[in-house]
Amino acid sequence: MSTPALSVRELVVTLLGGPQPATVVDGIGFDLQAGEVLGLVGESGCGKTKTAEALMGLLPPELAETRAARMLLGEMDLATLPERALRRIRGRDISMVFQEPLTALDPVFQAGDSLTSVFRRHRGMNRRQARQAALEMLARVGFADPQGVLRSYPHELSGGMRQRVLVAMAMACHPQVLIADEPTTALDVTTQAQVLAQLTALAAAAGTAILLITHDLGIVAQYCDRALVMRRGRIVEDAPVERLFTQPSHPYTVELLAAARSGAA
Amino acid sequence: MAADQTLWKRLRSDPSGVAGLVIVALFLLLALGVWFGIIGQDWAAAAGGRWEPAGPRFWFGTNVLGQDIFERSVYSVRTAFEIGLVVAILSTLLGAILGALAGWYAHGWVDGTVLWLKGVLDSIPFYLFVAAVAYALQGEAWAMHLAMIATFWTGTGRLVRAEVMKIRTREFILSARSIGLPDALILVRHVLPNTLHILLVQGSLTFIAAIKTEVILSFLGLGIQHGVSWGLMLAESTQEVLAGQFNNFLAASLMLFALLMGFNLLADALQDALDPRQVAR
Repeated sequence: MSTPALSVRELVVTLLGGPQPATVVDGIGFDLQAGEVLGLVGESGCGKTKTAEALMGLLPPELAETRAARMLLGEMDLATLPERALRRIRGRDISMVFQEPLTALDPVFQAGDSLTSVFRRHRGMNRRQARQAALEMLARVGFADPQGVLRSYPHELSGGMRQRVLVAMAMACHPQVLIADEPTTALDVTTQAQVLAQLTALAAAAGTAILLITHDLGIVAQYCDRALVMRRGRIVEDAPVERLFTQPSHPYTVELLAAARSGAA
Repeated sequence: MAADQTLWKRLRSDPSGVAGLVIVALFLLLALGVWFGIIGQDWAAAAGGRWEPAGPRFWFGTNVLGQDIFERSVYSVRTAFEIGLVVAILSTLLGAILGALAGWYAHGWVDGTVLWLKGVLDSIPFYLFVAAVAYALQGEAWAMHLAMIATFWTGTGRLVRAEVMKIRTREFILSARSIGLPDALILVRHVLPNTLHILLVQGSLTFIAAIKTEVILSFLGLGIQHGVSWGLMLAESTQEVLAGQFNNFLAASLMLFALLMGFNLLADALQDALDPRQVAR
């Protein structure tokens, strides 16, 4: 296969906040191919979100230490780039959708302001061009009234609408990699399906690879090509989705599948 | 921004807010009138006899020296606005900047320094501090302003620091960083605007506190040196009240009361109207 969109080796995240340093991501490595949807599953506290934040370079250095043999985004090694360079990459080449659409938009700004700031920062557009681009992007994530959404404050939008605005922000620059951290956990089931369908369709059109973090195996089965199972900071299984469900190789995966079945029943 | 239009709409639908706005606007007109030399210019002249009663010539009567009490109380509006605005704006700005820096870099050395400074300033008895500053800057008209600015920012700073510590862990800050915005821009565009409700309320409270403190300090002889203020009028009236003359006392206290009342009403209404989370009625 060609060069992966994202290639991670030996990623270690150590939290420094507590009485003792705690290693929450313990030497994980994986490849994400261009256009692929890769699931990252595991129970709460297994290090999924910290992995995402480490990849985005969002962990504050005074609270967490991030080390990696390499984190290649295309040709660029995120592990060695300085913060200045990372800021130019974030939102353009690698972007993220957060778990809580309720709080991920600034309450004092209209939804459009957050969206246009992506175009202005990374595409060098002026106010009017950015507004036009934002309207197009909002239409593409399925809003019937992009004008109205652009001028709405976050509290005037529903959870699903807010998450679609955030998807629009994350996909605005056709990034190579999109990290979706439990993007639908806060939404109800029908909205979940809508948001995920739009997210994957946009990504497929743009050739964006998705790292889809979730604890919901149903979502993995439906949307992912391949999945990583994570436990206590380590990746215990890396398999195509069909094989994961039919022939799980790690005892923990078996346990996880059993738990999901009994939960669904 | 569309918020400006809804702000005005919301403010108009609040009767006590409108009353406050009218009162403050009237006082502002008086202050502007004095600034532009239209009214209140004869506050120092002894135009009449001692303790002349209120009448067409002297609307509020005259004081012990035969000065026109109306002119003096109107000129004092300017004094009050001047000190209120200067102290409110500068100390709120100082509190916002220091508080935001302390909160953003919480538990670092910036935070430590700001907290130490705040602790030191808060532990000095205020009137002692003002007296010390006034003494150190003898004859300097800005001594009182300086003392108030140096001490009034601490309350705002504490509130802003706590709010910023809360805001910086919110997801929209992570989200702003995840689209590649630099820290300084995030601090100015996303953090400070979210403390605006605190700054507005603190600003208006400081305006009121500064005017009250000016009156008290002037009453004690530590405040206004050149000019007149309600505090100086009240100080004069301590002699006059014993002689049964209440005009000076009433004019100064009622003007002070009306301005503070109006400003409180306006500040309350603004606070409600500015809250972005409040559902429009």
